[in-house]
Amino acid sequence: MFTKQEDRHLNDKDRKMSHQHISGLTKPLITAIFFVITLLTSSFVLAAVHNISLTAETLPNGQVAYAMAGHEAVIPGPALFVKQGDTINVTLTNNTGIKVGFKAPGLPLPSSAKVEPGKTKNYHVKASKAGTYVYHGNSDGKELLGLFGAIIVDKAHGPVDSYVNADGSIVPITQADVDKQFVLFMVGSTFWGTEISSDGTQKPLWANPNPGAVTDDIVRFHILSIGPGHTFHLHAHRWLKTGTHAIIDTKLMAEDSDTHSFTVKAGTGVGAGDWQYHCHLIAHMEAGMHGSFKVDPIGGDGASVVGASPYGRILLGTKNEPGLVTFEVSDEPASWFRSARGDAIVTLSDPSAEGSPLQGGDIKTRSLEVMSPGSSVNFIMSDTNGVHTISSLLWPTGAHHMPFDQSSAYRGGAIVKLDTPGLYVFTCKVHPYMFGAVIVDDPNTDGLDLGNPAANYTIDLVTGINGLPTSSDLAVRLLKTFFIATSPTNWQDYSSGLWNVKFPTLPVRISGAPFGNIADDGNGYKLALSALNVQNQSLAVGNAPTTPGVGEVWINTQFEKTAGKYKPGTTTVVDATNWTVKRKVALPQINNNNPHNMWSSRDQSVIYQTQWFDNKFSMINRENGKLIKNIQVGYSPSHVVTLPTTDDITIAINGENGISVIPAGTTKVTKMMPTQAHGHISANPHGHWVSADGSKIVTPNINTDDIGIYAANGDIQARTPTGQNAPGAHPIAIGMMPDSSKIYAANLLHHTLTVVNGNTGALIKTINLIADYNPINGSLIDNDGNGELAVGVLPIQSPVSPDGKAVVIASTGGQIVIIDTATDTIVKSLDCDPGCHGANFGAKQGGGYYAYVTTKFGNRLTVVDVDPNGDGNLSDATIAGYVSLVDGVDTAKDDTVIGLPGFGGQGVLAVPNVYNGWVQNLPAAWKEGLTAAQQKPIGQ
Amino acid sequence: MSFQISRPCCAAEFLENSRATQWMPHNAAKQLLMMFLLVLAMSCLLIDKSFAAEHIIQLTAEETQDDGFGNKLLAYKMESHTVDGVPITDRYSAVATIPGPTIVLTEGDTVKISILNAIPGNGIPTPGISKQVSIHVHGVHYDILSDGTLKVINKNHDEGAGAGLEETYVVYEYKWNVAPGTAGTWAYHDHNFETHNGAEHKGLFGAIIVNPIEAPSYAKEYVLYMGDDAFWGMEINGTDKKQSKHGANPTLSAKENTNVRFHLIALGTDLHTFKLNGYRWFDPGTDNLINQAEIGPLEKHVFTVKARHSSVYVDKNFSNQLMGMRGQFNVH
Repeated sequence: MFTKQEDRHLNDKDRKMSHQHISGLTKPLITAIFFVITLLTSSFVLAAVHNISLTAETLPNGQVAYAMAGHEAVIPGPALFVKQGDTINVTLTNNTGIKVGFKAPGLPLPSSAKVEPGKTKNYHVKASKAGTYVYHGNSDGKELLGLFGAIIVDKAHGPVDSYVNADGSIVPITQADVDKQFVLFMVGSTFWGTEISSDGTQKPLWANPNPGAVTDDIVRFHILSIGPGHTFHLHAHRWLKTGTHAIIDTKLMAEDSDTHSFTVKAGTGVGAGDWQYHCHLIAHMEAGMHGSFKVDPIGGDGASVVGASPYGRILLGTKNEPGLVTFEVSDEPASWFRSARGDAIVTLSDPSAEGSPLQGGDIKTRSLEVMSPGSSVNFIMSDTNGVHTISSLLWPTGAHHMPFDQSSAYRGGAIVKLDTPGLYVFTCKVHPYMFGAVIVDDPNTDGLDLGNPAANYTIDLVTGINGLPTSSDLAVRLLKTFFIATSPTNWQDYSSGLWNVKFPTLPVRISGAPFGNIADDGNGYKLALSALNVQNQSLAVGNAPTTPGVGEVWINTQFEKTAGKYKPGTTTVVDATNWTVKRKVALPQINNNNPHNMWSSRDQSVIYQTQWFDNKFSMINRENGKLIKNIQVGYSPSHVVTLPTTDDITIAINGENGISVIPAGTTKVTKMMPTQAHGHISANPHGHWVSADGSKIVTPNINTDDIGIYAANGDIQARTPTGQNAPGAHPIAIGMMPDSSKIYAANLLHHTLTVVNGNTGALIKTINLIADYNPINGSLIDNDGNGELAVGVLPIQSPVSPDGKAVVIASTGGQIVIIDTATDTIVKSLDCDPGCHGANFGAKQGGGYYAYVTTKFGNRLTVVDVDPNGDGNLSDATIAGYVSLVDGVDTAKDDTVIGLPGFGGQGVLAVPNVYNGWVQNLPAAWKEGLTAAQQKPIGQ
Repeated sequence: MSFQISRPCCAAEFLENSRATQWMPHNAAKQLLMMFLLVLAMSCLLIDKSFAAEHIIQLTAEETQDDGFGNKLLAYKMESHTVDGVPITDRYSAVATIPGPTIVLTEGDTVKISILNAIPGNGIPTPGISKQVSIHVHGVHYDILSDGTLKVINKNHDEGAGAGLEETYVVYEYKWNVAPGTAGTWAYHDHNFETHNGAEHKGLFGAIIVNPIEAPSYAKEYVLYMGDDAFWGMEINGTDKKQSKHGANPTLSAKENTNVRFHLIALGTDLHTFKLNGYRWFDPGTDNLINQAEIGPLEKHVFTVKARHSSVYVDKNFSNQLMGMRGQFNVH
């Protein structure tokens, strides 16, 4: 009898909880009715029907979330507590601008179809099994932005859970025994919390909260996840693994969606304390995925501490509480770190946006956010198939929590609280042109703070440069690079004939007299960034080279958008004999994602191609551009090179810790050769090269800042650091002498070229590519004494010519630097378009070589002749001509170009492959087009 | 229970944790007296639990030899381990190993375990970077002063050896209560090196095995940590309790038809699927026979099999499988 009464009480209480927010009506009458019904139904519990009205809303920071109709939208969404056998009828009204559905994996739900913006739809869920379930928006990844919540289905009778007591006994509990409950959603690398008090009231705890309790409180945790997997760990507490007798303190949350509910007696056997809870994936820990379970001593209030809120102190925030801005990590060109409200900011800041608080701000990037000190920035890898890091590139001098970084690339997200005012720029180490910027602005100063106000508005760089004035030429160049890279309207579209660059008109506060001409207004230096604007500069593609090349040039136009697929990128094939675009290869059938780099099979019949923002690798029929095979090879494959000896394929797995190998003539990876010894930090190799004799594979290891030399069987022969004892060199691409005597590695962030001995790996020289540049005032002086004013900012691909005479370095700052290998000095720099990136050599008709150079933020190919008269003296190196990469009427295509035509030039490959070691293996038909010298590039 | 009673005497921690900096609680003397009284009380209570052993353990953390190219890992080494005053240090490797020493305990035991930091330069404070190493243990009971975390997390102290973010200790001692209900295999690992996440992924990890009081014995026990590119394993001989075969992807051995126990723990960033080809075992805490297990970082998975045939243990994770994350299980 006692048990029955308790059941009734529990039942009554539970219904009160779950219906609390359903309508605006006051509860006593409903409660009374339920009580009567419960009495009448006596020993069995009537399966209840829950009618729930939800809306989907856009939050001030652009995230989307569910709300119990009429209430504030919350993340996680309202927790729905029901009993086994109950029915949940959800009426969902979509007040967002995206399609939103309602899906509950694991529970019967006839339809989870999405509802259009402004429309309403009903969903019916049968709570057929006890357990904890995720519900989510089923919105093509946008659900990770906040459209998720918990459905907790308890058994109709008996205990709802058990806890492990201090003495080891297992104590069953009913809902009435529970003092409080917490829902903690693990999404990206952030926890989203809700507290449910014993009376059923739900309170949002937002991002990375500190849930509180008093020692010996019975606390039920509902851990849920959506997206990439996690493990949940809470310090000093133990609990039962659901459905088993096993006692655990860490639980896997599997990929896609997963749940785990458990109960603890707070502090039992261990006492009061701030007990950390966190994801136990090391990369997620490093990405900020933690909080504390604050267990107060008996007598304390056990209050929770709320985390960062999407309503809080950010630009246009609505509440005076710690705020949160959120970036979606995306494979989308320019919007790699896209603010959840990036589109809204662009629209609101347009000069024509009447009545907007941001009217005329002219913000063209979706990757910029503004918030107050003490708020947090959140990243979620919701729109990408690759792995990434979220790494700080620069920050206000001395800022808290900087540098921010992870020791390996991963899938998830990141969150970090920013206390110090100033500009923070984040990048991905694997894809180092992905940029997101946050200005943390002290509301008490005039203009947005670009540096730390307490340190004369200076910034620190990840490369160890500290206290750089924000008025310096280098700081301004970096700022320009950010605004150009993240805004396609600022790119050089040669098909339009004009170039415009618009920077925001927002006033910024910087270190001193900037860009020459502004004065201190008595309140420090400030100016509008739009002072840097470029207005209607005329653009012409320029002439094609007069001497044709041999064969074809394949260019990964990695940002070009086509109609038949969601992911960006095509391959543009240029006929080198007449400099026209012959073919576009989009591969819509595999949603070809950011094709990055290529190599060819020995007989030149198959083009191998990596998908850098994915884990796939494609084989393409060179003659007709058709897909042969799409293969999983590891995350973020970057470059591919064959072994000239065997024609085996080696692929640098940039997001991981090895080189994948596909034996010649096959289509499956048979092994991944580790780029580091067991247990050591992942090397994350990017643009590798293979020696002409096939005996060595050489990788630039971006995560460990060294050059790795590996035998063809994978043995590690050398690891040579390239950073000269400074951090963050970021070696990114390798070039190698045709006789393998020397190896060259471009260090992206140090603006240097490392030269090492090709046999021993011993460091020979580090060539400073910005020796002539004064980073403070931007002046150029011949500091390296080579008789040339030559600079290469942010160098990337750096191949050695097949005859071994020259290294050509495509520098993303907009220069092509030429090095004479005889002296290992700079002999020349030539202009390149913004985002200059790829370079590779092909044969020039009648002898000699062209270096084909690609750019990301322009849409033409630059053809460089390093030695026009063939005398071995490179001082006459010149640009032979240009080729537009925009498709024409005669271009063969497998899909229709719909945006960013010809943009995103990265990997480039000339067919035939004329490098020493490979050229000798060409079929006779290909050799016919080459001179005798080209067939034997080093005379053998 | 006895351990619980000793809990309020947290001042003991301050005295035993020898600090390089001059700092003492102002009422240390009073707390010292309290501690003595409580220890007395504790001793009385211990009498009715004579089987409960007291472990005194000292570990060091040091750098390993480099990989030939200047890259080093970190590792724990057993300096000494006594059980009720009887030394058992010779069961352990004489050098630092990855994984670290496996510490075998029984429910009801108490442990005082201290960490000495032998990493070069560890005593020199550097703003924003912790040079401490700690022992953060899973599963057993301990109070907030034995959490092995930095003050930024636990709000009390930088609980490790070496220069932390705020405090420097030469040696830090932790107290574990191997209370009833803590039987199982659990990880211990650093939580303090460089950042508040520690260096668990650089080699500073090991296992504790907490046996229930009436536990069966095994001919061999194997600890296999699943990292991001290799198993880090070791073997314990069931007879002489000696620990051996430390390192990456070790070859494990067993006599045919003997009972052996595998202790799997994962660590790092990867999620794993473990398989011991040709064997099935009980999913822990259930009656379900399984032949593979999904394991995420710091989860544990313990099972026993009768060694009937040689086999291979593998991780089925796409990249790890290609990278050769596997080892031999030789039965003879």
